[in-house]
Amino acid sequence: MFQNFRLSMAWLHTWFGLTLGFVLMVVFFFGSLSVFDREIDRWAIPETRFDPQPMPSFDGMLLPIFQDIKPTAESIDQARNRVNGPMAESFSPKQWTAYTTHRDPVLSLYANFTLPNAKDPEDAVFGNRTIDPRVGKALPDDRLKLGSEFFYPLHYSLHLDWLNLGTWIVGFAALVMLAALVSGVVMHRKIFRELFTFRPAKHTQRSALDLHNLTGVVALPFHFIFALSGLVVFAGVYFPVTHTQLEPLHELHEKLDAQKTGLPHDRAGVPGTLASVDAMVAEAKRRWAARDAAGEVGMLVVQHVNDANAYVSVYRAGSDRVTLTGEGIHFKGSTGELIREDPPPTVVAGIVDFLTGLHLQHFEHWLLRWLYVLGGLAGCACIATGFIFFVEKRKRQHAKQGVSGARWVDACAVATVTGLLVATFAMLIGNRLLPDTLPLRGSWEKGIFLGAWLLAFAHGIWRTAPTAEGRLSPAWAEQCWAAAVMAVAAVLLNWVTTGDHLLRTIGAGYWPVAGVDLSLIASAALAVVAARMLKRRADAAMVASARFAPDATTSAARA
Amino acid sequence: MARSAASAVHVVSRIAAGVLGSYVFCWGFIALGVGLLFSAGMPFHDAESLSSMLAFLVFLVAFLWAFAAGSLARVWFVLLGGGLVMTGAASLVQLALL
Amino acid sequence: MLLFAAMVTSIAAAGFLALSMDVHWEQVRADPQCSPRMVRLLRVLGAACVLASLALCLGADHVSMASLVWFMTLAGAALVVTFTLSWRPRWLRPLVMWIPATTAREEAGRS
Repeated sequence: MFQNFRLSMAWLHTWFGLTLGFVLMVVFFFGSLSVFDREIDRWAIPETRFDPQPMPSFDGMLLPIFQDIKPTAESIDQARNRVNGPMAESFSPKQWTAYTTHRDPVLSLYANFTLPNAKDPEDAVFGNRTIDPRVGKALPDDRLKLGSEFFYPLHYSLHLDWLNLGTWIVGFAALVMLAALVSGVVMHRKIFRELFTFRPAKHTQRSALDLHNLTGVVALPFHFIFALSGLVVFAGVYFPVTHTQLEPLHELHEKLDAQKTGLPHDRAGVPGTLASVDAMVAEAKRRWAARDAAGEVGMLVVQHVNDANAYVSVYRAGSDRVTLTGEGIHFKGSTGELIREDPPPTVVAGIVDFLTGLHLQHFEHWLLRWLYVLGGLAGCACIATGFIFFVEKRKRQHAKQGVSGARWVDACAVATVTGLLVATFAMLIGNRLLPDTLPLRGSWEKGIFLGAWLLAFAHGIWRTAPTAEGRLSPAWAEQCWAAAVMAVAAVLLNWVTTGDHLLRTIGAGYWPVAGVDLSLIASAALAVVAARMLKRRADAAMVASARFAPDATTSAARA
Repeated sequence: MARSAASAVHVVSRIAAGVLGSYVFCWGFIALGVGLLFSAGMPFHDAESLSSMLAFLVFLVAFLWAFAAGSLARVWFVLLGGGLVMTGAASLVQLALL
Repeated sequence: MLLFAAMVTSIAAAGFLALSMDVHWEQVRADPQCSPRMVRLLRVLGAACVLASLALCLGADHVSMASLVWFMTLAGAALVVTFTLSWRPRWLRPLVMWIPATTAREEAGRS
């Protein structure tokens, strides 16, 4: 199909980069926001604006709460066509999990329940609750955690959960990212010579390409490792080999493993009691300290709830290193005696833990987190300048041919660059304005996000008509102004509705909320700078075309 | 962009080979990898993880090759054919182990 | 503190490496590119700063985190130097202040 390798890579980079670039923009932007997902949660749910807390007492606080959790209506609804016969009325719990990190003031509790008459005997329905660990009070269910429950899943699943479709799309986009990085290097002949080159004074096509190359090359290892590690996180979804073709082999291994580790694979079917979990946690902490790895509890899991085979697994919070610290300590549920202390991971498991830990960032290192945001935004800049370059290179040609391809790409680009900002800020504004007692408040907030984004898209389509004539579209500048105004509005609304203005939050050192407010202001400032730069370019282009108009008519007459 | 005239069918076929062909090849790579590594004594989850991680890199190479290669027929033969052969071999390994 | 020093060192590294290229030298100084010996020295200085930055990062954190921080400071440094070259190239002058201007005779001798 191509005359040489470089041309094939250029074609691949252009066309796959363009189509999947729209998905990658969402992934990189919301991935960057997800670095501070829990801080965004604090901003969105003012009741949780207190300091991170350690895991509270299981016996005293968590046990009665767990016993109270029921499967959600949504989970039961989704399971209706996974059972033979009518849906059961009550469900018995199988597994309880409590999870916290060094950034969480509130504690997340999860429960899964056996699904009677299920087609797949391992199937389950799910319940959850978020509590204030200082007093054990539950948060109202429809307080949407904007960061960890909306922006974060948006970046890996696009909220398209049917058959994991969104996750598949993101996975394919990740593969295309890897291909775009390799093909980009192949195309970019002067990679070292032009490493520090950015010529903003030149025409848009040149300066966009300069910026595209800069942001792509300078953070190339970051982009590559993040795409690859993201794929590794979901490897089980993309290649479910051991749960399909090699399921028999997997089952064989599970049985051998259960014998080796002593952790019961199945329930005994006999009721059992639960000994003091607090004592188990204390023992776990003692063991970690003994091997020079003192730490806090990150996760507690009770397996085979209410059964004689129950066991409790205690996992350490991995705040001090990149790699995930998955080694757990397991205790017999009924007696509290130690069953097993997980050995250090194998070399392969260590590599997987490092890669996934790198991506999921459970560690405590604020500079590195901000550097991650820098890398992520560099990725966004790379993709956005890619779109701009594509449009600039073709719009005059398309205008002459009467083809509107460039115009549509420009409209989609506006929607995925400035449009996403507009939608995000609209959601934050909605979060502050919607009444607290509104039922399904979380769904309303999601609706506002989607609605604002669709409006931005529509605005983009309408206002990119000039692109079809080879000129700069005003949509970009207009959405920049809108984004700037909305970002400032969000900060002001935070002050008005919660009383937490910047002087107060910075003064008290409450950085989660101060950080979000400061970031909003910085974004507004950047948006204004961008809007004014765009206006200068548009004005310069008008002057230039007015100067050349006489020549244009002569050459048109000649043609 | 200079490329020899390629029909829409050819372009679609190339993309299909790059995406679906590579997927089948990688599935076979993982299945055979898990089977062989597990039978050689590697812990099961290690075999699974190692094969999957390598498979993503294999996918990248296969994907790029599908567009760079001169002969589309060869691409389909290697990716689809190779993938099916490895998948079949993996099932044989599984039968032998059980 | 160590991390701040690491960032500054990374920026110096990027600066030295950029200024070893004539196109960027010319943005910063009026006189032509310095002698090949000086160019090599700039590259060595750049490399040394890269390593120094790594050492500073390792001093601050656990190995796995330090290597990531180091890596990302280099990326950030490259961006900072590039934007400085585009908008305020004179700010990079201090990095090569100590290099004397090439005289006309040296320039003639080179070509």
